[in-house]
Amino acid sequence: MKQSPAYRRVAERMAPGVLCRDGFLAPDRRRLEEILETDNSAVVGLGTTHQAIAARLQAVYDQARAGLGRHVEVGEGRSALWREAMGRIPCPWGGCGTFAKGEVELTNAATGETLRFTALGIHLVEAHGFYQGRGSRYRLEPAALARALGLPEEG
Amino acid sequence: MGTILLATLVTAATAGVLAALLVLAERTLANYGPCTIDINQGARTLEVQGGKPLLATLMEQQIFIPSACGGRGTCAYCKVKVTAGGGPLIPTELTLLDDEEQKSDVRVSCQLKVRNDLAIEIPDELFRVRQFTGVVERIRDLTHDIKELRIRLVEPDTIDFTPGQYVQLEAPAYGPNPEPVYRAYSIASPPSDRSHVELIIRLAPGGICTTWVFTILKEGDEVRLNGPYGEFRLSDDPAREMVWIAGGSGMAPFWSIVRHMREQGIDRPCTYFFGAVARRDLFLIDELEQLASELPRFRFVPALSGATEGDGWTGEKGLITEVVDRHLADGADAEGYLCGSGGMIDAAVKVLAAKGIPEERIHYDKFT
Repeated sequence: MKQSPAYRRVAERMAPGVLCRDGFLAPDRRRLEEILETDNSAVVGLGTTHQAIAARLQAVYDQARAGLGRHVEVGEGRSALWREAMGRIPCPWGGCGTFAKGEVELTNAATGETLRFTALGIHLVEAHGFYQGRGSRYRLEPAALARALGLPEEG
Repeated sequence: MGTILLATLVTAATAGVLAALLVLAERTLANYGPCTIDINQGARTLEVQGGKPLLATLMEQQIFIPSACGGRGTCAYCKVKVTAGGGPLIPTELTLLDDEEQKSDVRVSCQLKVRNDLAIEIPDELFRVRQFTGVVERIRDLTHDIKELRIRLVEPDTIDFTPGQYVQLEAPAYGPNPEPVYRAYSIASPPSDRSHVELIIRLAPGGICTTWVFTILKEGDEVRLNGPYGEFRLSDDPAREMVWIAGGSGMAPFWSIVRHMREQGIDRPCTYFFGAVARRDLFLIDELEQLASELPRFRFVPALSGATEGDGWTGEKGLITEVVDRHLADGADAEGYLCGSGGMIDAAVKVLAAKGIPEERIHYDKFT
C-alpha cells in the first residue's frame, strides 16, 4: 500500500541527516503508518495512553535535568541521568515548534533495561503517538517503557 | 520487440522535452527581474535579482542571517522582520512561526522568495558578519568528550569580535549528512588574536556537526564559518562585581573574556564558578588558576557534583548552583553571567535571583 503524501513528507524529514545524524526511523524499514499503528495497539494493550506515558516521561525528564549531569533517583529502583547538548531541534511533523537538545538515560534496576529519550521524544509520544523506529537510539518500546515508568500505576 | 523499443524511445524523448520545458520555465517564469531590498529604513539598500529565497539572496550580498539548517526550512533560526513586500505567509512558514511572530511581520527568510521590492529589519550587528574560510591548525582533546579547535583564518584572514560572541561552523555533507549544516559555537580565543578562531566543542550523541568534528575533521582541513554573532558580552560598568557560572563547553566565552581582561588590564572583581561531574570532565584548570594569580580580583572556583574517591578531589563539591549558594553572600551589587545548558541556566538564575541579583543584571548564553 502506498504511503499517504502527508506521512511521506513526515518520513522524509525523519530520514538520517535531515534533522539529526541518525534520523528517527532507521534501521526500521517499516512504513511510518505501520510503526504508529503497531505502537498504538501496544499502548492500548498495556492499558495506558500516549498522554499518560508522556506525562510520566516529562516528570522524569524534569528531575533528571535538575540533576545537572548527576544520577538522580526517579522512583523505586529507577535512576535517570541528564546529558546536555547544544541547540534545538524541530518536530518532523512541522508546526510544533522546536525542542531543546539533550537526552535523559533512564535505568530500571529491576530489569537492567536502559532507555534514552529527549524533549522532542516526549512531544512525539504525546502529540503523535510516535515512539521512533526499532533500533534507533531513542526508540521507546512501549512495553519496556511502561515497565520503566511503572505504568499503568503500580500497586 | 520493435514496439517495446519504440515505446521506450518515445517515453525517453517525452521526458527530455518535459525536463527542458521545466528548465525554461524556471529561467523565465521564476525570473522576477530586478528587486530592491531596503534594510533598516535606508541603512543599506540592495539591488538584487529576484527569484531566490531571501536568505540566499542576502547571503549573496554578504549579509548572513543565522541558520543552522542551511536554508532547508527545519531550524527556524533565520527569521527576519519584513515590513513591506513580503506578501501572505506561505504554508511552510506557518509551521515555523508562532502566533505572535505571524502578527509581527516576522518571516522565515529561507522560505520567503524575493519576488518584488522588500523592506526588512535585521539587527545592526549582522552587518559585521562575514563568511570565512580557514584551516584547522590544531585539534586538542580537552576531556574525553570535549575538543578544542584552533582555526587559522584564510579569507578573510582576520576577524573582529567582542568577547562573548559566537560563530557558525559549517559541517559539510558527509556520510549520513546529505547537505551542509551550520552549528553555533562561542569563540573561545581572545579578540587580540585576529587571525585565529578557537572553538570548544562537546560531542553530542547523534549530532551532525559534532560527529563530523570528532570522527572526520583533521588538522590541515579547510573549514567554513561565519560570524560574529550574539549579544552575550560584559557590561560597560567597570566597577560592578561579576559572578560567572558555566559547565562543560560553556567555558568557551569565558575563556575568551578572561584572556581579554588580562590583556587589557580590566580589573573587575569576578568569581568564576565552573561545574563538572567528575575530575575527567574538568579542563583548562591550570591555565585558569594561573590567570587567577595574575588578575588580583579574579577568583576561579571549580566544583565537582559527582566526585569519587578515585578523583582525589579536594576542591568544592556539589552542584554548581549549590556551590554558588554557599559562596555568594549578597548579590545586590553584582551581575551574573551564565553559559551552559538550559537546565543549568534555569537553576543558576534562581540562585542568583535569591541572592538579590535583579533579572536585568543576569546575562546568559543558553545553549538551548
